Amino acid sequence: MRDRLEALCRDGIAAVAEAQSADALQDVEVQLLGRNGALTAQLKGLGKLSAEERPAAGKLANEVKQTLQKALEDRRAAIEKAELEEDLAGRGVDPTMPGAPMPVGGVHPVMAVARELEDLFGSMGYVVWDGPEIETEAHNFDNLNIPGDHPARESHDTIWMEDTPEDGRLCLRTHTSPVQVRALKQFGAPLRVVAPGRVFRQEAQDATHEHTFHQMEGLVVDKGIGVPHMLHAMNSMLEGIFGRKLETRLRPGFFPFVEPGFELDARCPFCKQGCKVCKGTTWIELMPGGLVHPNVLCAAGVDPETYSGFAFGLGLSRMAMLRYGIHDIRWMMSGDLRFLEQFSA
Amino acid sequence: MKISLNWVGDYVDISDLSAEKIAELLSLHTAEVEGIESFGEGIRDVVVGHVVQCGQHPAADKLSLTMVEYGGEEPVPVVCGAPNVREGQKIAFAPVGSKLPGDLKIKKAKLRGEVSRGMICSERELEISEEHDGILELHQDAPVGERLIDFLGMKDSVLELDNKSLTHRPDLWGHYGFARELSVILNRPLSPLDLDVAWPRQEGSWKISLSDIEGCPQYGATEIDLGGIPGQAPTWMRNRLQAVEQRPVNDIVDITNYVLLEIGQPTHAFDASTLRGHAIEVRAAQEGESFTTLDEVERKLESDDLVISDGERAVALAGVMGGLDTEVTHNTTRILLESAVFHGTRIRRTAQRLALRSEASTRFEKSLDPAYTQQATARFCKLLLDIRPAAKVLSAPQVEGHSVAPEIVLQLDPVRTSELLGIEMDRPAMTGILENLGFSVEDQGQELAVTVPSWRATKDVSLAIDLVEEIGRIHGYNRIQAKPLNAPVAVPVQQPLRLLGRKLLARLVQSHGAFETQSYSFLDNNWADSLGLGRQDFVCIANPVHSEVELMRRDPIPSLLEQAVGNLRENPAGRLCELAKGYEPIAGELQPRERCWLAVVEWAGKDTPREGYESLFARLRGVSQDLMRSLDLLDKLRTSPVQPETPMPTWAHPVQSLEYHVGETLLGRSCRVHPRLQAAMEFDRADVGVLLLDLEALAKVAEQAEPKFHEPSKFPGIKVDIALALPEAVPYDEVVGAIRKFGGKFLDSLELFDVYTGPGLEEGQRSLAFRSLLRSPERTLSDKEERKFLKKMEQVAIELGGNLRS
Ligand SMILES: [Zn+2]
Repeated sequence: MRDRLEALCRDGIAAVAEAQSADALQDVEVQLLGRNGALTAQLKGLGKLSAEERPAAGKLANEVKQTLQKALEDRRAAIEKAELEEDLAGRGVDPTMPGAPMPVGGVHPVMAVARELEDLFGSMGYVVWDGPEIETEAHNFDNLNIPGDHPARESHDTIWMEDTPEDGRLCLRTHTSPVQVRALKQFGAPLRVVAPGRVFRQEAQDATHEHTFHQMEGLVVDKGIGVPHMLHAMNSMLEGIFGRKLETRLRPGFFPFVEPGFELDARCPFCKQGCKVCKGTTWIELMPGGLVHPNVLCAAGVDPETYSGFAFGLGLSRMAMLRYGIHDIRWMMSGDLRFLEQFSA
Repeated sequence: MKISLNWVGDYVDISDLSAEKIAELLSLHTAEVEGIESFGEGIRDVVVGHVVQCGQHPAADKLSLTMVEYGGEEPVPVVCGAPNVREGQKIAFAPVGSKLPGDLKIKKAKLRGEVSRGMICSERELEISEEHDGILELHQDAPVGERLIDFLGMKDSVLELDNKSLTHRPDLWGHYGFARELSVILNRPLSPLDLDVAWPRQEGSWKISLSDIEGCPQYGATEIDLGGIPGQAPTWMRNRLQAVEQRPVNDIVDITNYVLLEIGQPTHAFDASTLRGHAIEVRAAQEGESFTTLDEVERKLESDDLVISDGERAVALAGVMGGLDTEVTHNTTRILLESAVFHGTRIRRTAQRLALRSEASTRFEKSLDPAYTQQATARFCKLLLDIRPAAKVLSAPQVEGHSVAPEIVLQLDPVRTSELLGIEMDRPAMTGILENLGFSVEDQGQELAVTVPSWRATKDVSLAIDLVEEIGRIHGYNRIQAKPLNAPVAVPVQQPLRLLGRKLLARLVQSHGAFETQSYSFLDNNWADSLGLGRQDFVCIANPVHSEVELMRRDPIPSLLEQAVGNLRENPAGRLCELAKGYEPIAGELQPRERCWLAVVEWAGKDTPREGYESLFARLRGVSQDLMRSLDLLDKLRTSPVQPETPMPTWAHPVQSLEYHVGETLLGRSCRVHPRLQAAMEFDRADVGVLLLDLEALAKVAEQAEPKFHEPSKFPGIKVDIALALPEAVPYDEVVGAIRKFGGKFLDSLELFDVYTGPGLEEGQRSLAFRSLLRSPERTLSDKEERKFLKKMEQVAIELGGNLRS
């Protein structure tokens, strides 16, 4: 018995020393000390011994168990240490291997600008509103103080729908401005609203012309509204797009639905001395706007004696082009992944 | 439009200001200046030369050998080929090193053995005119060595104005209007136009009749004897015209152009001897009438067009272009000068239809001040008599009809004006600006009564707010300080569709690797057939951008499929999505219905499996489910294959198509694209699937979603794997339904992890393996529940015609 226990101890220690991994050591432990292991088998033999022999054998068995446990523990610590060292040594590891592929998607650049501005103006208390893309002549032109014989109404500028009666013609809206009157009719004054959306012109396509593009209209009507408020809203918008304050200047511009009308120029964000974008002038024309024409307020059922307002229009497609340095507008509607992939979510 | 600053300088002193400064002033106060050009810049190196010697070239008959003195240095030898070169002449000389228009650089040359150090120039070489028969001969007094542009008074700065920013200002279509603007901006005096003509007592004898009063309410005619045939206009006038890119013709035509460019009023000179009837009739054209304009093109006219007739035949297309037969020629000695008022819109329509937009028509279409007509006649005669002392005005201007600008008096509230502009300005300052602009102002205590001058009253200024603009722009918009609105007091209303669209789109982009795109709203007409629809199902475009692209899309799927095809070559796999509108005609409604769609198209290589998690079909179902989950609709979502009897878009595969419902509301569908359409669109080495969701329907059901928290069980569950070998014809949906139904109340989750056919199964069988989880919220389950569950599953399998595999 004693011999067998000593042999078990000896062989056990050797087996422990031979184990090269945590898993192998685990197996050795099961073989030696497990429920069906070698030591258990020996302990079963204890019953057969005489009463005199039993305490000594029991003691020895216990010592063997402790010795083996100690050996296992030491070996486990050694293996863990070795494995940690191995891990830290990083043999066979190339840390420059590529990251795992994750699903990547992206937002259309025009939409990215539009949504940022929606959020910006939303935070300033503006309603974000939508209007139909197929619009009545009344909403697209008449209500906006655009004379009946204005060239913009003609078929070389505007896309008209087939089979509509002469007194109720439909067109693809040529600007987001019809939402001015629609929103005013819906909510009345006072009102703050922005209306982003798709607009259409009868236009031959080239690098700077598209028949389908995006605009954002802004409108504020309240008591005591004047040009300073408009200027502030326009400046805020540019700050939202370019991420910093730009020096701006107002100069006269003519649009039938505002009076007075303005063009807002900003200091070219791309240069100090003049560049291609600003055609060497250091100013770029960015946004038309003006005080809402009294005839437009009347068309919307708002009394121009009590209320005044301002409106501005922003070419979202153009802003996206400026912001990302896109030089050909035709990319916008191309659906080409080589283009879309360059814009993150 | 181009504005010569020399010309403007005739009427307001701007001699101390640079062209850049003037351009800036006009841009900030009046209208956009798009560019500045220096007239004469191309010949700045050319100087006055003196031919001190002229002899025959020893080796060439047609060449002369000259010595030219041009200031400072010694005379230089120059070989000249012009027949009119003579000793003693003053000429335009381009020395070695100088540049001529067309990037021509003058170098030392040897011509037939003789050295030539410069060039004696013709008018064409200087781009002064087309004249090239000989060299330009200058006046004997010309100082040798002076720059030619200085000697000829050519040096000028020309501003290019954006015509669009002038459309509402009929007064700004001539130099005088800009002189007026600058005089106000700079607060300097404006000189009047010189209209001083001694009119003869003699009444005109032409019979003038106006039969289309709308088209032509007033017509003036003045007969003038030129005292000889037309000649060349003086250099100063030709310079001015050339500076603004008006080609000089002869003095008579040049004066009409000069008047047009100065005042803005077009006039027309007929050769009086070619007019047959001694009469002028202004009438509507007859439908189909033909007329040859002076560009020698025969035009077919319509009844909206306006013609001038001499009683026998049309002699001019009113306001647009004169006729070939009656124009001033080199033989003309007597003219009839027309100065009339024409209907702006009709002139524009005619000019546009005939593609004949001219300097005249561009101005008439702006609705000019009728008073310009008298000014133009007087200015023409004044200039003509100055230039041609032998000329004689034969009669006082004959004017038929009467047209004046409306008399407009506006009430202006100075307090509100200040408030709207956000500037502090007192009444005298406002009055001062308006009066400088030509308005007359009467201070009535509370308000100002402002009378609009005729040149601003035709179209431009009609409301008090227009006066606010005048005051603001002259004061300077640039001086206005920005001011924020008061803080909002309420949360703004939101359009639920917009929010929903943004949310789903963000999920597609961020979780599912989709790229948002924008595609056109138009479809090629052939799509009607492909979609199994008729033209009447679409809103159609009357004047499409591209012919045969007349349909407004009902949903974005066709356009997205086209974009997918376009991507195949560079990107064999991809996923695009778009938030877009579709347009559906509604019987009895004027405006069509516009529906908001969220559409996804996904394509991948042809080797993509048709079935299983890797298939487009399964992936798009997965995407749909995730989108529904993001709206808390997953519990209520009913996903079903399309029933044979339900109508289905032609782009959908007849079997691999799913419809998504909540309750009775159809939310959308996903499918593989019909193989026939794929083939027709040439998806050659790809497979493609789509997902289309109706945002309005989604918004409706999403509103009723009730997200709820379920307390997770504190007790561990039992994982049980089961595999059911069933006939292939039994759909997965049915299997899951049966498991759920009979699985008992402890069946928590159920997840398909393997689909198998092959050895070990009967012919026509497939095995569906599920990992199920049994769990109770109240206690730990035991083997007993597991056995009971397995027994149920066995029954389910048998019920469905198969067996439970162990
Ligand atoms: Zn720049």
